[in-house]
Amino acid sequence: MNGWMGKITKIDLGSLEQETVAIDDEMRRRYLGGRGLGVKLYTDLCSAKTDPFAPDNALIFMTGPLTGTVMTSGRYAVVSRSPLTGTICDSSSGGSFGAVLKSAGLDGLVIQGRADHPVYLYIHDGGIEVRDAAGLWGLNTQQTQKAIQEQTPAKTSVACIGPAGENRVAFAAIMNDKDRAAGRGGMGAVMGAKNLKAIAASGSQAVTIADPEGYKAMNARLERIIDKNPVTGKALQVLGTSVLVNIINAHGMFPTENFRRGMFNDAEGTSGEKIAESLLQRQSACYKCPIGCGRTTRTKNKHGEGPEYETVWAFGAQLGVSDLTAITEANYACNELGLDTITMGSTIGCAMELSETGAWKEKLDWGDASKLLAFVEDTAYRRGIGAELALGSKRLAEKYGRPELAMQVKGMEIPAYDPRGVQGMALSYATSNRGGCHMRAYMISPEILGHPVFLDRFSTVGKAEIVALFQDISALVDSTVLCRFLQIAMGISTFTEMLRTVTGLDFSDEELLKIGRRIYTLERVFNNRAGFSRGDDTLPPRFFNEELQTGSSRHRLVRLEEMLDDYYSVRGWDKEGVPLPRTLAELGL
Amino acid sequence: MAGKIVVKFYGLLRRQVHAPVLEIASDELNILQLLQLAKDKTGQNFLSELLDPEKKLLTGTIILVNGENIRLKQNLETLVRGGDSIDLFSPAGGG
Ligand code: SF4
Repeated sequence: MNGWMGKITKIDLGSLEQETVAIDDEMRRRYLGGRGLGVKLYTDLCSAKTDPFAPDNALIFMTGPLTGTVMTSGRYAVVSRSPLTGTICDSSSGGSFGAVLKSAGLDGLVIQGRADHPVYLYIHDGGIEVRDAAGLWGLNTQQTQKAIQEQTPAKTSVACIGPAGENRVAFAAIMNDKDRAAGRGGMGAVMGAKNLKAIAASGSQAVTIADPEGYKAMNARLERIIDKNPVTGKALQVLGTSVLVNIINAHGMFPTENFRRGMFNDAEGTSGEKIAESLLQRQSACYKCPIGCGRTTRTKNKHGEGPEYETVWAFGAQLGVSDLTAITEANYACNELGLDTITMGSTIGCAMELSETGAWKEKLDWGDASKLLAFVEDTAYRRGIGAELALGSKRLAEKYGRPELAMQVKGMEIPAYDPRGVQGMALSYATSNRGGCHMRAYMISPEILGHPVFLDRFSTVGKAEIVALFQDISALVDSTVLCRFLQIAMGISTFTEMLRTVTGLDFSDEELLKIGRRIYTLERVFNNRAGFSRGDDTLPPRFFNEELQTGSSRHRLVRLEEMLDDYYSVRGWDKEGVPLPRTLAELGL
Repeated sequence: MAGKIVVKFYGLLRRQVHAPVLEIASDELNILQLLQLAKDKTGQNFLSELLDPEKKLLTGTIILVNGENIRLKQNLETLVRGGDSIDLFSPAGGG
């Protein structure tokens, strides 16, 4: 078989039984791999009644047909039901783990059951060994990776959880290849609930390519495209993703102090430009990535990876904190303990506002960076105030009677773009299948950054169609599995070409878009069954009622109702956001 | 003339233009003229980070006049005068 390795194994950690999951060509062609195939397998195995922490909940690690082949193909996707949101969830991570998993002979693995003591899985030669991890339990993600690498052959890649995952913090991450994170949605907590500390893989099996000559020529051409594009060829390397800090701030939509303001006085001091001239040691890159957006940094006390744009914001402007060292060290701590930085920072911001309003007796002050590290550590161990922060913002704000102060959608904290300044992004947040996330449809690209085309950020006209299209393309790219940053320089036809060259199957652009739509719709069907509908496709009331007071987004509010009906109709869903029978039939669902 | 035109450089432009802010005293002029003037004043040819060889905006270049994108105004012909604040961003991406 070309592209895929042709093997997905299911393992029950309770009974230790293993079986090969039957996947036929048709299923591969309809869902590809990664997020798509993961969601398909998940919805076949689990129901909307499955508790995320129950043994029968499936945790699925998936690669795609392009994993281990073209540029940026080291990635993998993790699919399960999120303990943070209750929605279906996929989380994706870079590094090389995905490529190494394939070289160990598997396209993916499905994990069910719960081990009766801590274990880790070692995958090689297409087989899975269950190994004791009692001695690893309690170690942080860096120590865990190192310890496992000492017990396994050179070049073993490890994906693991830290204390946060062990303690089932609802936004615990899975970390691999040192500091790469499957961050969002609490996949690390699902892993912890299974007593699964890590998955390690090593191997030397190669992916077979359908058209080796065409593949070589295509790769050379793609390298040139990436190199010539000013963003992928230069800006991301030199300045990383935090180059967005000043841009978003200048648009008056850089969320400050729990989204009460859209401009942060000290944005400059936490910008990508500033990081490049202060903490940056060197850029870092995932497997076969010519872009290299990662930042290897050093503070006076420590060194590590990050911060990326979202993290700079979550521990910076969101909290009124301008101390770049404190932000960076909070980022390192999240990496070590295995926590999603966006939810962590946003939840602290929510707590600060709860404190200010008097709803919560704890004294937390805007701009106080001195307790950041303690907050992060206490959250991972669920101790003291951390036991409350570990709830995430939605449950925390509900507990203290002020649910409107949690800046979340469906339980997931929204990231670093104030939706009042960007209407398409507002619709994208509201309709995202995994909650408040920018990665389902990155409308910042057209509405702020101007690619592939420039759109008026304050207009709602035509946004529904574009959001739906972007959601479909994202689902597709997440199923191949490649890095989204390729989309800055490449359109859908390039992905079609890559898939054709690697798998030998005659995919068309239309077919790929339909695959994306099928995946998005299947996720929606699961969420509908789990009780989500129109009422959940919304945003916190702040964005409808409170105008921003300064900057170029001042006096703006989100106008979701102008877009939502359109969106449902573009998608072929009814007024409640439930896919119509004819839509399901068209997609073969 | 109400004060000077304040031009701020961001992103890759910072590597070329060593001060992040430039103040220009001038009569009303359009953005293209302003960019030429800024180039002369800084002595740095940063225009290729923003414009293509035909002097059109590169995909992804962001130029804001008082926070508003010139693509929603008259593009490079957008007029500016003293007191206006201009932000120049070379093409960027992130997530
Ligand atoms: S662009 Fe960044 S995130 Fe994407 S593969 Fe390259 S280094 Fe990894």
